[in-house]
Amino acid sequence: MSDPRDTIRAETLQGSAPACDLDLVPAGIKRVPSGVDGLATERLVVNIGPQHPSTHGVLRLIAELDGEEIVNVETSVGYLHRGIEKLAEHRRYHQLGTLMDRGDYVSGIHGELAAALAVEELLEIEVPPKAHWLRSLMGEINRLSSHLVWYGTFGLDCGAMGQFLYALREREALLDILEAVTGQRMMFNYVRPGGVLADLPPEAEQKIRAFLRTIDGYLDEHHALLGGNEIFQKRVRGIGVIDRATALSFGLTGANLRCAGVPYDVRRDAPYAAYGDLEFDVPLGETGDAWDRYLVRMGEMRQAVHMMRQCIDGLPEGDVMGKVPRVLRPPTGEVYARVESPRGELGVHLVSDGTDTPYRFHYRAPSLFAMQVLEEILPGHLLADAIVIIGSTDVVLGEIDR
Amino acid sequence: MLPDKTVVNSALGAIAGGAEVTETTLGVVARVAASEAPAALAILKAEPLDFVMLVDMLGTDTGEDIEVTYHLRSFSRDEDLYVKCVLPYDGVLNSVWTVYPSALLPERETAELLGLTLARHPNPKRLLTTEGTPPLLRRSQVIRTIEEVRDR
Amino acid sequence: MNAVLSAILPVLAAAGLMLMNGVVLIYMLRKVLGHLHLRLGPVHLGPKGILQTTADVLKLLSKEDIMPTGVDRWMYVLAPAVVFVPSLTAYAALPFSETLRIVRLETGLLFTFAVLSIVPLGVIMAGWASANKYSLIGALRAAAQQIAYEVPLLLSVLPVVMIVGSLDLGEIVAFQSGVWMGILPRWLVLLLFPSFVIFLVAALCELNQTPFDMSEAESELVAGFATEYSSMKFGLIFLSEFSNSFVISALAVTMFFGGWTLPFLPESVVAPLAPVIFVLKTYIGIFVLMWIRGTLPRVRIDQLMNLGWKWLIPASLVWIVLVGVVMKLAAVGGVS
Repeated sequence: MSDPRDTIRAETLQGSAPACDLDLVPAGIKRVPSGVDGLATERLVVNIGPQHPSTHGVLRLIAELDGEEIVNVETSVGYLHRGIEKLAEHRRYHQLGTLMDRGDYVSGIHGELAAALAVEELLEIEVPPKAHWLRSLMGEINRLSSHLVWYGTFGLDCGAMGQFLYALREREALLDILEAVTGQRMMFNYVRPGGVLADLPPEAEQKIRAFLRTIDGYLDEHHALLGGNEIFQKRVRGIGVIDRATALSFGLTGANLRCAGVPYDVRRDAPYAAYGDLEFDVPLGETGDAWDRYLVRMGEMRQAVHMMRQCIDGLPEGDVMGKVPRVLRPPTGEVYARVESPRGELGVHLVSDGTDTPYRFHYRAPSLFAMQVLEEILPGHLLADAIVIIGSTDVVLGEIDR
Repeated sequence: MLPDKTVVNSALGAIAGGAEVTETTLGVVARVAASEAPAALAILKAEPLDFVMLVDMLGTDTGEDIEVTYHLRSFSRDEDLYVKCVLPYDGVLNSVWTVYPSALLPERETAELLGLTLARHPNPKRLLTTEGTPPLLRRSQVIRTIEEVRDR
Repeated sequence: MNAVLSAILPVLAAAGLMLMNGVVLIYMLRKVLGHLHLRLGPVHLGPKGILQTTADVLKLLSKEDIMPTGVDRWMYVLAPAVVFVPSLTAYAALPFSETLRIVRLETGLLFTFAVLSIVPLGVIMAGWASANKYSLIGALRAAAQQIAYEVPLLLSVLPVVMIVGSLDLGEIVAFQSGVWMGILPRWLVLLLFPSFVIFLVAALCELNQTPFDMSEAESELVAGFATEYSSMKFGLIFLSEFSNSFVISALAVTMFFGGWTLPFLPESVVAPLAPVIFVLKTYIGIFVLMWIRGTLPRVRIDQLMNLGWKWLIPASLVWIVLVGVVMKLAAVGGVS
């Protein structure tokens, strides 16, 4: 169990620096997250992941079990590290979107959008209105498809197989739309600094309208199939409670924060793209348990459909790309741009030194913060609940490792 | 929204060396001494400033030293504040996890990718890369020379 | 010589039936789950993909048999056999028709349940011997589950025995032939519906089926006790699972749905078709099990224990008392 790499890792960062005073537990935190001792013999130390059916990619949890109950847990990541932040320092500003697609690969549009917004803010590029609306439209399509994947896999985490492919049926239609518009199904590279790649082709508009005709009934069906199931409710109600204080102190955003009752949504509180002109609700939770997170995400899917309708009906005429120089050379400066990705606030912190490549490119991954809170909330739960709670936080490992 | 510079400045007057609060393209930036960063953040988190969330944390290699940025947010007033401090290349990054537990992983990442030593952190392991990997985000680590980029 | 032959033949027949069953049921599971999940299931190998399972069996047979280091060798090798043999033995008392059965046992019902309850021992052995933490957790879950659900399973069939007055599966079926009041089939499910519900829940648990597939909960324990098994050892465990669902479904048909009999039809029509009717009814039961498997989420281990100890056992005890009282009253009142 004890990975020799872990001890070496420990040495590398600590050096001769003062160690943490383990008696020092800040208010609101249950215990010092000092990692799991792999040599503990009294309890069962189980390695969940990185190759495990339900750790959503390559998340590795080192869990110390007392019977079936988790006493201590440590998250270990880095199995998907590609150095996106470093690579970005060697790419031109146009090429950042390509990298962002590979960060949160389930909702690429949002990553691209954050990078594009940061570049536009640095260069003060004017974006045509139609591009704004298309960004919102594609963003909501992508959000819906991402939430559908979450919905399907969340059921799988609870042991239900039924809903998974039904969710993928809808996602398939959405990916077809995205393919028709962007030419790609996952790595879109659609949102560029200054606008978007292409206008909506006529067949895509038809596809979207056809999709919007059926989706409401399908969403009801989804909710009835999984959320209406008594066993499912018994599984998710009351577990993985993240209260307001914990959510804030661990930097959670998105549905994970809103389920704790904090009404923060970047789309509403710092509107970008066309969200200032769209009308939508921000679903909120009350107790902050896994069931709330389920309800909030289901509500977000309905809001996404609602916004897709508004976008497709209110799409203005005009260009989709502003006047952008071939090589972008922003002035020296530093900006932070944020969007609301399906997982929370996705931020891009960009430092420019006046050349055609970013000086420092930082990607604020909402999943990283959502994953941190696991070490705090998992202890005290059963192993089976742990899997459900990981599912309910909706982490994407491509984004955590970057 | 931008926080009031004078309020931030006077609140941070309590720490050693005080703070230099400026407004940049990024927003309002408070520069403090690296050794005082945990104390400064503790003041900012408490009432009346109420920056309850550490949104993000990153390190930047400026060419001479490492600049660490803490991005704070107050929900009650909808304001963002950036706290920056500067560390030498062989510097010690003091953990602020007792103030903001959300700094736990970003601190490990920053220390690892910029080659800093992490102090007072409960679990100061490497996060993303394996042992022997040089600090990737230092400017001296070139993955493709600038000539190769230009001649593409 | 003849005696030896006649002793061996039924065993061979049972083994053959079990293997055939396994092959058919795997195909059926894939197709049923496929269609439940908007998929097609296997389509490529043979017409409608019927040769897929054959190919899989060949694959399992030809795969390298990996023995992980650190396993308890004897137990590791023995465990699949301990899982497999009782499943095979359980076919012995099943009445396919009035005459077609391997042995006629006075205590057929008791025998079948007794034999089936050996299976979890094999599961525990497999989990322990694998030297894998997931396997161990799976095995411990299996043990807890076994203790909690064996009791309600047996209690749920007691009313059947009380009413029929026999443990012989053949007599239980014979009791159910004919109709009540000219319209209702004399199936015990109509009389003992609560028993049937308890039986179904406990049987799902006994079978390790969703929503009670604790010991191999895929999303939690990878494959539970079977994680470290490969090749035909895994094949045996797999096969035993399918054959258990056949046995349990056959028991349900025998006890609650009239076994090989069909109501409203004359004896001369039913008698030659009896085994076919029996197998068809059993397959309908298996289909229902698969339907449940394809739809429901898994319960949590503590909820499972609660359900078993706090609901099923008291409920079945109350039900037994109730049935007993009603039977006594009926006997006193002179109604048979």
